[in-house]
Amino acid sequence: MNWLKQLFSRRQRYSDLSEEIREHLEEKVVELVASGMSREEAISLARREFGNVALVEEDSRSVWRWHSIESIVADIRYAFRSLCKSPGFTTVAVLTLALGIGTNSAIFSVVDAILLRPLPYPEPDRLVRVWESSIKYESPRNVVNPINFLDWRDHAQSFESMAAISSLTTNLSRNGQPIAVQGMQVTTEFFSVLRVPPFLGRTFSSSDEIAGQDHSVILSYKLWQHQFGEDRTIIGQEIEVDGLPCEVIGVMPEGFSFPKINAEVWTPLPLARTEEWEGGRFLVVAARLKPGVSIDQAQQDMLRVADFTVQARPDYNKNWSANVFPMLEDATRGVSCPLWVLLASVGFLLLIACANVANLLLIRGTGRVREMAVRSALGAARSRIIQQLFVESLLLSATGMLVGLLFANLGLRGLLALIPQSAPLPRSEPISIDGRVLLFTFLASLLTAVLFGLVPALRISRVDLQNALKQGTLRGGGVGGHQTLRRCFVVAEVFLALLLSVGAGLMLRSFGRLIAVDPGFNREHLLTMHIWTAPSRYADDLKRSQYFDHILSEIQNIPGVQSAGSTHFLPLTDRVSGSCFSPADQPAPTPAESPTSQFLIISAGYFPAMGTPIQTGRNFEDHDNFNSPRVAIVNHAFVNRYFPGQNILGKQLQVCWNFKEPVEVVGVVADARQAHVEDAPEPTIFLSNSQAPMYFATIVVRAAGDPDQMARSVEAAIHYVDPDQAVSDIKTMEAVFSDSVSSPRFQAILLLVFAGLAVTLAMIGVYGVVSYSVSERTNEIGIRVALGAASRDVVRLVLQEALILAGIAVCLGLVGSLALSRVLQTLLFEVTPTDPATLASVCCAILAVSALAAILPARRAMRVDPIVALRYE
Amino acid sequence: MKKPVQRDLFPGALEMMILRTLKRQPLHGYALVQHIKRTSDDLLQIEEGSLYPALQRLLKEELVKAEWGVSATNRRVRIYKLTAKGTKHLEREVSSFEKMLEGITRVLSPGES
Repeated sequence: MNWLKQLFSRRQRYSDLSEEIREHLEEKVVELVASGMSREEAISLARREFGNVALVEEDSRSVWRWHSIESIVADIRYAFRSLCKSPGFTTVAVLTLALGIGTNSAIFSVVDAILLRPLPYPEPDRLVRVWESSIKYESPRNVVNPINFLDWRDHAQSFESMAAISSLTTNLSRNGQPIAVQGMQVTTEFFSVLRVPPFLGRTFSSSDEIAGQDHSVILSYKLWQHQFGEDRTIIGQEIEVDGLPCEVIGVMPEGFSFPKINAEVWTPLPLARTEEWEGGRFLVVAARLKPGVSIDQAQQDMLRVADFTVQARPDYNKNWSANVFPMLEDATRGVSCPLWVLLASVGFLLLIACANVANLLLIRGTGRVREMAVRSALGAARSRIIQQLFVESLLLSATGMLVGLLFANLGLRGLLALIPQSAPLPRSEPISIDGRVLLFTFLASLLTAVLFGLVPALRISRVDLQNALKQGTLRGGGVGGHQTLRRCFVVAEVFLALLLSVGAGLMLRSFGRLIAVDPGFNREHLLTMHIWTAPSRYADDLKRSQYFDHILSEIQNIPGVQSAGSTHFLPLTDRVSGSCFSPADQPAPTPAESPTSQFLIISAGYFPAMGTPIQTGRNFEDHDNFNSPRVAIVNHAFVNRYFPGQNILGKQLQVCWNFKEPVEVVGVVADARQAHVEDAPEPTIFLSNSQAPMYFATIVVRAAGDPDQMARSVEAAIHYVDPDQAVSDIKTMEAVFSDSVSSPRFQAILLLVFAGLAVTLAMIGVYGVVSYSVSERTNEIGIRVALGAASRDVVRLVLQEALILAGIAVCLGLVGSLALSRVLQTLLFEVTPTDPATLASVCCAILAVSALAAILPARRAMRVDPIVALRYE
Repeated sequence: MKKPVQRDLFPGALEMMILRTLKRQPLHGYALVQHIKRTSDDLLQIEEGSLYPALQRLLKEELVKAEWGVSATNRRVRIYKLTAKGTKHLEREVSSFEKMLEGITRVLSPGES
């Protein structure tokens, strides 16, 4: 244990060493004096020949040390003491850094969980989604026709397995309690594409897929936990799914889900090449690539297979092709751009924080010129001083990191609270500050320390010994350049803050435009709820249409209900359905060549409830029933697109959705927004639910008072008609609207918060530079005042400096924001990224707050007493 | 770590000279540096202080040992003495140094192929 002995004998060694060196010098002096020199001369010569005593001792001691570690430990101790001695500086610096680091950790944890982390399946890189694509409708990601899917599955060679998915609401019933949950009908391959084994039981086999034998169901872990009390004997038991008894064959593991579809139950999807499937595109297709096959190869393969389907059924498939996209990219489309923008924003914020702390360090460094000079006179090498200053920076950033993680934790909670339950993120994995985020935070704070610590360390350590020691004032020479450097930092800060503010301003304006859009209906006092009728119980069209009519008339009778109606897809929920159509008096073109229109199946009460006015003709009426001639209503956009200037009333249309007989147009209704509030109204055909009943509907109820109060009685009315009818998604239309704009609201709020923080930090920077320059110029100001300058002139002098800095930053910022505008383009609604009003108001605001930041120092300058100022020197 | 001797000497040269000097007789620091200066006819300009870090390194490697004693001029001094390990180390160093020197001489001597 040699090193242990060394450790304990060290003190002795050091004192031996000091004594030895003293004796050495003494011996030399004695010798020199003996040769006739005066003692003073001898001492001086002995020291000169010996070299720097302190340095020699330091070097000799360092032989016994664990070199760098010990010097760093000493530096940390020193840095800690020195930071404790200036609590004001330390607090401001640590808080600034914590803000920068904390916001980055919080946003990174979201970006990581959603965009960066691979999907939670084995070999996720091989997972893709396959879509039909239509050049005609500019739709690269169109849902898939079942027969096309079967052709793909049979002919494509790039995939290990390919599965089709149809997602729909499913009614479950056990012990008479109806509940509606999100369900997924999937083909057998689904679970082998994702390669996730069940937690209990088994997944589907090919025998489950045979039509008529498809009475099996798989439950999610959550459903099993909450509805079935974690009962392990559930496997093999029967539960009622959409009115039919189904055998529970498996339970999936906790957390298992498919991106964007949070299903609770999985049922088999039997597909056959039957005529009834010819008519529509509605499947989502997921596939696993064979090992070694690239996306491009798969794409080429699919183009070939799509050609085959076009040749096989040209009427239906002409102008259609297929596209292959990586599953992760597909799932995060739409959120990835906003998330990167947010991450970039907090990156800017961190840079601003760095610049601010660098400035603080420079000011502090100015006050430490003497300290540095003394240290270097005592033999500290420049590298040693840099090391010491850098250790100080590391200590600051490490403390900033710890406080920042606290901020991040709080911030993340607030951030996730902004995301509504009903408009969830595309991935359901939990978002938290985990190991990866900690690692990112650690690296970010290291980088931060380099960013803010290096330049000041290099600057401060470059002391001019002679001047610094001779002058003896605290504001010594050799630091004149600092102020220029600090001004550059401040310009950079204001520049970045301006970019963020422009971004936030644009998002805010865009959000304002978005919520000001007139959707074409009145969203106040509206209650909505979804019902799904089990095909097993209401298979008969007439029976089903009467069922819905009965429910609506019961609701209509509730006191306080003004009107009640139904639609198969509620507006602003990202849902549309399309169909081809043709005028009945012309020969019918093929489906691929027909014009298309959106369509909605509604009840007569829908337009009155929504408050959308009929423009010409009439609304559906009671006598438009299952047995009367088929009628339709079209919207204004439909007339404009397909029959401009013509009287459409009385025209007969053949609608592909409803093959059998033509429908007569009896009315034109005003336009309303459907899929999203930002999408302009599309041509739409409305059919009557009494004549072409769907299996599901969203009931809309216009209430005289608070719609929330009506929910109970409306639900009761539905259960009065059928006690087993499950009701889901009970929400006011205001809530539906609010959820539909949650994503732009989220972006606007976050950007606004970040811009606010950025401007605050930048203004602290401006304040710091200006107030330092006032204190440096006290003398000059004193002379000016003595020579007759009015306080107005003094104020102007100070404000001018702030405004010049801000002005430079604003000019740079305008150029910068033009460069960044392309990134924001896709996120904005009805606002161009170069919106002059936004740019102008942000620039003015920045100049104004810069002036405001300079007011305190300006007041100080105003109060400079010339006598005191001049005596000070 | 900074090594002040590096400016004039190659690394380890000072240590070698110290060991060589101590092989003849144990000496204390001041005498050691005077001896090195004298024998090199002041060709080697070393700062006297640079001796001490070198001595500490040798102490640490246990190539020399030190004891407080009294010098000829009756001063209390620390006298350094070569250890057995030091002797062996010196032999090895000298022979490798000679090889290196021979190599350098051959390269530097003109005209021969």
